[in-house]
Amino acid sequence: MSGEERSEPDRDRIHDAYVAALLGLPGMGPARARSLLVDRSPLEVWRGIARGRVPKETEALLGARRSEVIGGWRAAAAVIDPERLLVRMEEMGMRVSRPGQAGYPTQLVEDPDPPVAFFTVGTDLLVGGLPRVAVVGTRRCSGYGTDVAIQLGRDLAAAGVVVVSGLALGIDAAAHGGALAVTDGAPPLGVVGTGLDVVYPAANRALWRRVASTGQLVSEMPPGAGPTRWCFPARNRIIAALAHVLVVVESHAGGGSMHTVTAALERDRPILAVPGPIRSPASEGSNRLLAEGAAPACGVDDVICALSLVGQSPGSATPREVPSPVDLPGVPADPVDGTVLEAMGWSPISPDALAERCRLGPVELGAAVARLRRSGLVIETRGFLERRSGSVG
Amino acid sequence: MLATVNAATLHGVCGHLVRVEVHVANGLPAFTVVGLPDASCREARDRVRAALVSSGLSWPARRITVNLAPTGIPKAGSVLDLAMAVGLLVACEEIEPESIADLAFLGELGLDGSIRPVSGVLPLVDAVEAFGVVVAPGNQSEASLIATQRVLGVGDLRTLVRALRQEAPWPAPEVVPTRAEPVEGPDLSDVRGQRIVRFALEVAAAGAHHILLVGPPGSGKSMLARRLPGVLPDLDPADALEATRIRSAAGEDLPPGGLNLRPPWRAPHHGSSAAALVGGGSRTMRPGEVSLAHGGVLFLDELGEFAPSVLDMLRQPLEDGTVRVSRSGGFAEYPARVLLIAAMNPCPCGGSAAPGGCRCPAAVRARYVRRISGPLLDRFDLRVGVHRPEPSDLLSGEAGESTAEVASRIRLARRRAADRGVRANSELSSRALEAAAPLAPRAVRLLEAELHAGRLSARGLQRVRAVALTMSDLAGRDVPLDSDLVDTALGLRIDPFRSEGFDVR
Repeated sequence: MSGEERSEPDRDRIHDAYVAALLGLPGMGPARARSLLVDRSPLEVWRGIARGRVPKETEALLGARRSEVIGGWRAAAAVIDPERLLVRMEEMGMRVSRPGQAGYPTQLVEDPDPPVAFFTVGTDLLVGGLPRVAVVGTRRCSGYGTDVAIQLGRDLAAAGVVVVSGLALGIDAAAHGGALAVTDGAPPLGVVGTGLDVVYPAANRALWRRVASTGQLVSEMPPGAGPTRWCFPARNRIIAALAHVLVVVESHAGGGSMHTVTAALERDRPILAVPGPIRSPASEGSNRLLAEGAAPACGVDDVICALSLVGQSPGSATPREVPSPVDLPGVPADPVDGTVLEAMGWSPISPDALAERCRLGPVELGAAVARLRRSGLVIETRGFLERRSGSVG
Repeated sequence: MLATVNAATLHGVCGHLVRVEVHVANGLPAFTVVGLPDASCREARDRVRAALVSSGLSWPARRITVNLAPTGIPKAGSVLDLAMAVGLLVACEEIEPESIADLAFLGELGLDGSIRPVSGVLPLVDAVEAFGVVVAPGNQSEASLIATQRVLGVGDLRTLVRALRQEAPWPAPEVVPTRAEPVEGPDLSDVRGQRIVRFALEVAAAGAHHILLVGPPGSGKSMLARRLPGVLPDLDPADALEATRIRSAAGEDLPPGGLNLRPPWRAPHHGSSAAALVGGGSRTMRPGEVSLAHGGVLFLDELGEFAPSVLDMLRQPLEDGTVRVSRSGGFAEYPARVLLIAAMNPCPCGGSAAPGGCRCPAAVRARYVRRISGPLLDRFDLRVGVHRPEPSDLLSGEAGESTAEVASRIRLARRRAADRGVRANSELSSRALEAAAPLAPRAVRLLEAELHAGRLSARGLQRVRAVALTMSDLAGRDVPLDSDLVDTALGLRIDPFRSEGFDVR
């Protein structure tokens, strides 16, 4: 096959396929791929690798184990068929954009660490004028964090702001869940660390599909790429690059969201953090961000204010009233339940501490908690009880 | 010349009658023991010879054969020493055969001729058929606990021979203290806060429901567990005897009063082997911890650290209340009716259990939890989270109820259970439960919903019902069981490892 004889758009597609194939080689990261593709077409590079030849500047990057890596590439290149990859990408409706092409997002053009290719499915949200806000946080979140992420996701989408998140468990999923709960809000943008055909984590499969069908999914990883240790920090930098504003809902002190924060700082994106209880480990990192100068995000207004400071204004000036994504009764039926709810406060509480606070007998309290759990006003997480808000925001 | 002496040997926790036959004949001097003696039993030859010589008695330079009948049962230990010595003396016509006809002899000999106590004297005495039993003075009070026979405590061989020859009276029995003061255990009033866990413990004690405490280190799981035996009522006479018998068989010290009146408390280390936990051993079978805790409390701390195979061995004893251990040398059956209390961390990191407080990845947590098999987890009627108490509770919280107060409520609840013909509600069969614990319509609807949602199994349903009945007993309420009791029983049966949370799908 020779790509040179084809028409212009066809040749572009062929090059896309070779870029995808290159990125799929074992141990291929953005930096190595970039060095391979300087002033060379993907097709040229691929042919070189198939013969075990790589450019000088790439060899310099590979370090001591270079012959091993190149050998691995050569072996993999003999197996991978870029044509088949192309067919697969076309089946999925996946588009590829590379630096210098029309579809490549402008934010990434000026990025210090731009992806060599950008795989995407769904509506293109990066060319329209919609402002984008990243809502991120820990996978091991509290009920409070989930509630706030849902609320922010929902209110931002209703205000016409694209919610950008990483489709991880916990806060990421809650933020997108909130955004999807708005019927005609701004569509969500998911940035993932694996190939677009590799759903990770599997628990998010349904959410993944909904984001792809209503909004957009993007990744710098080629189809078929599974999760690796480094792909999530790498994804975080793209989240930071694509968003106009970053909101951290809940993060542990050394959590992965802190990578996103560092990446956002490098790219001059404003950072907001949701204040949390000082005794909650899940809020340790986000509270520290506040102490270090991040703006507090106490609601959608704070986020929209931060957006306007960077020259982005959402489609609708004021957020609309939207129904809560969680259907909860406003007031509990039984007066005892009201007392229990009152005593509970808004942080996770152990049943022992709750019994101490509301001075009820164990059977009376047990019955009240069971009623509250049935109505959805209280959830239990690993033995802790936590109040859910019915009318968040 | 032939002599036959009554004695007994221990097999499991039961004694077996052994007749020690001693034959002295002309021939080259030799001393043979036959009839399946183990090594320590065969060593009796040397102890008997030295003891006789030290006591100033003659040693026959003739051919001595000792047979331990029935010959099919393996005999272990030194309990037959005394019987062999006495048999030899009779065979050598030092003692009249008539003087020992109605007696049995249980004891180990020292080289100086002293008679030493042996373990398991209670079941041993139970096994012999004789008018009187001669034991070491150290065994006398223990032997007297059940003996229908006259128990004679004798300190050394010379005294014994003189008494048998009727040259001197039998030594006076040692003064036995009638009843020991109950040993003061840790008191429940030391526990601050923790109201729900305390309540769960009370329910566990009242209904003999197995209980699992899940909480991070430092939350007081062990402290709470240690206070459980204190609230249990005294053992009834039959149980006390059985518990004493097991302790005696295992060679453990008996309480000062002799009978084991208080429920035992056993806390085996998580490194324990299967044989240590359920009983067994290669040749001499020994009761395991689950039997030693019979009638009382078995505490398994760090449940997640026990070998899963060892834990699963507990399932059958927990169900049946007995352990049957089979070995090549035979089998033994041990009673094993325990109240199981177990404690474990929610995950290996030991961090706070509060949402977001654990550093373990979900996979690590899942692996830790999988060490506890579902069927074992199902045996716990009560599963509660234990949380570190609030600082305010520790500093200013008022002291909780004392052990005595809780124990009195538990006695009342147990009395109600006794009216139903069982020791505690957990022993009720499903049919008896059906009759004893009718449900109010609201409670029925509640349980139906749980069953339909798949959160409750048929077995779980029975357990919830029994727990609700115990709570009703504790509160002095009457059946039918209302929904609040059922709700609370369900609430004390959490899956401490799963989070309910809100899932966005």
